[in-house]
Amino acid sequence: MSETEAYKAAYQREKQARLAAEQLLEVKTRNLFLANQQLLDQNSQLKEQQALIIRTEKLATLGTLAAGVAHEINNPLAFVLSNMESLKRYVEAYNTLLKLGHRWLTEQQLTEQQTSQLQDLIKQQDLDFICEDVAELLSDTDQGLIRLRDIVQGLRNFSHDGNNERIQYNLNEGLNSTLKILQSELKNNIKVNCQLATIPITKCNPGELNQVFLNLIMNACHALSETRDAQIDISTDTEDDSIVIRIKDNGSGIPETVLKSIFDPFFTTKPVGQGTGMGLSIAYGIIQDHKGSINVSSTEGQGSCFEIRLPVEA
Amino acid sequence: MKGVIFNILEELVIEEAGMPTWNAILASLQLKGIYTAGHSYPDEELMALVQEISIRLALPTPKVIGHFGEYLFRQLNQRYPEFTAQQPDLKRFLLSVHDVIHVEVNKLYENPNLPTFSYHQPADNILVMQYQSPRKLCILAEGLVRGAAQYYDTEIHMTHPVCMHQQADHCDLVIEFLSSKVTL
Repeated sequence: MSETEAYKAAYQREKQARLAAEQLLEVKTRNLFLANQQLLDQNSQLKEQQALIIRTEKLATLGTLAAGVAHEINNPLAFVLSNMESLKRYVEAYNTLLKLGHRWLTEQQLTEQQTSQLQDLIKQQDLDFICEDVAELLSDTDQGLIRLRDIVQGLRNFSHDGNNERIQYNLNEGLNSTLKILQSELKNNIKVNCQLATIPITKCNPGELNQVFLNLIMNACHALSETRDAQIDISTDTEDDSIVIRIKDNGSGIPETVLKSIFDPFFTTKPVGQGTGMGLSIAYGIIQDHKGSINVSSTEGQGSCFEIRLPVEA
Repeated sequence: MKGVIFNILEELVIEEAGMPTWNAILASLQLKGIYTAGHSYPDEELMALVQEISIRLALPTPKVIGHFGEYLFRQLNQRYPEFTAQQPDLKRFLLSVHDVIHVEVNKLYENPNLPTFSYHQPADNILVMQYQSPRKLCILAEGLVRGAAQYYDTEIHMTHPVCMHQQADHCDLVIEFLSSKVTL
């Protein structure tokens, strides 16, 4: 073998060695990429689980707090409501007295001195105005107390501190009856696409679950207020011994910052006075109470999907 | 451009014109010529090499690039035979370039700056590959398609009616399958 040929053979060997080394590097790189990918996936899964744990813990704490607050407010509220009823009766009695005074004045049944004294008293104390205004004050107070009672009821519902009567029920019926209630709200410009599969009958509290459906569908309607070709897809299905209910809209979607707090009590994005911020937290409480789960996925501008999973209870 | 492309160009020149020619090309361009497969080198360096080759071999640059494309396919197929092994015919192989091969390349190399391909099939025997890349190496893509056709023993007729070199924003490689290997 000439020296040139020897070098050529050596060159070929080196080339083969280089190719083998590069191949080895590629195998390692691919494995590293896959391992890294797996780690990234696991990391994001962990983060999601961590967020879920924090949320669940937070909601559990809030549940306990809500139950305490509801209990504390409920007692004084009960006697304030009862006192208000008595007060209304008492005020009525005073009004009758005033009316009698006016009648005596009109019919001139009093002495001149008595007439003058009574007229002065009515004028000084502004009794005619008080008589008019007290009715309005009582009515406003009544409304305020009713609102307060609803909020306390909401807090109690959130903390499952309520009526727990369970009956065998078909949730499809619940969804259908909820849709009937919402007919006027929906008929104008929202297309409702219902795909209700045959699902097993389950033991639950129909009133509570219908409240959840109503709440979610109403929220979907609000999210669709500015959407063209607005649509709500409602479906039921059975997956792994659970009933799965999905309520999906193609509305405005929920920003990520809002999504984190969506089930928190009193959290609302609606203007002051238009929402108590209790709807979804109550829904969460009701579903938890049924040993189920409620989750939401949403993309801003594309819509949201609420998924409820309820175990079938015989 | 990844070093593996330079390595294969070097192999082609050495195989067809000899080691002294490759050394002379490197010397005239004052290049060291040390290329590692996974490392990236400037695109201009590859284009300078191709131009120098076309001058020395007295061949038009597009012809050198097209010929290199065919050779590149054979060599890449030798290094990565799994991609052709997964696809039974040329059409399915070409359809897998963007979604299978390029995905795998992305796993191996950071920022490989691959071209994008989108496809449409106006008829059963016609495939249009829409090529887009700032490198405008559509002639190389043509060569690679020809190399693949040779591998699959498939006769094709390829036209290039829309081209980035003629101010279009993409290239259309229209591939008509005239005959194909019959697999039993």
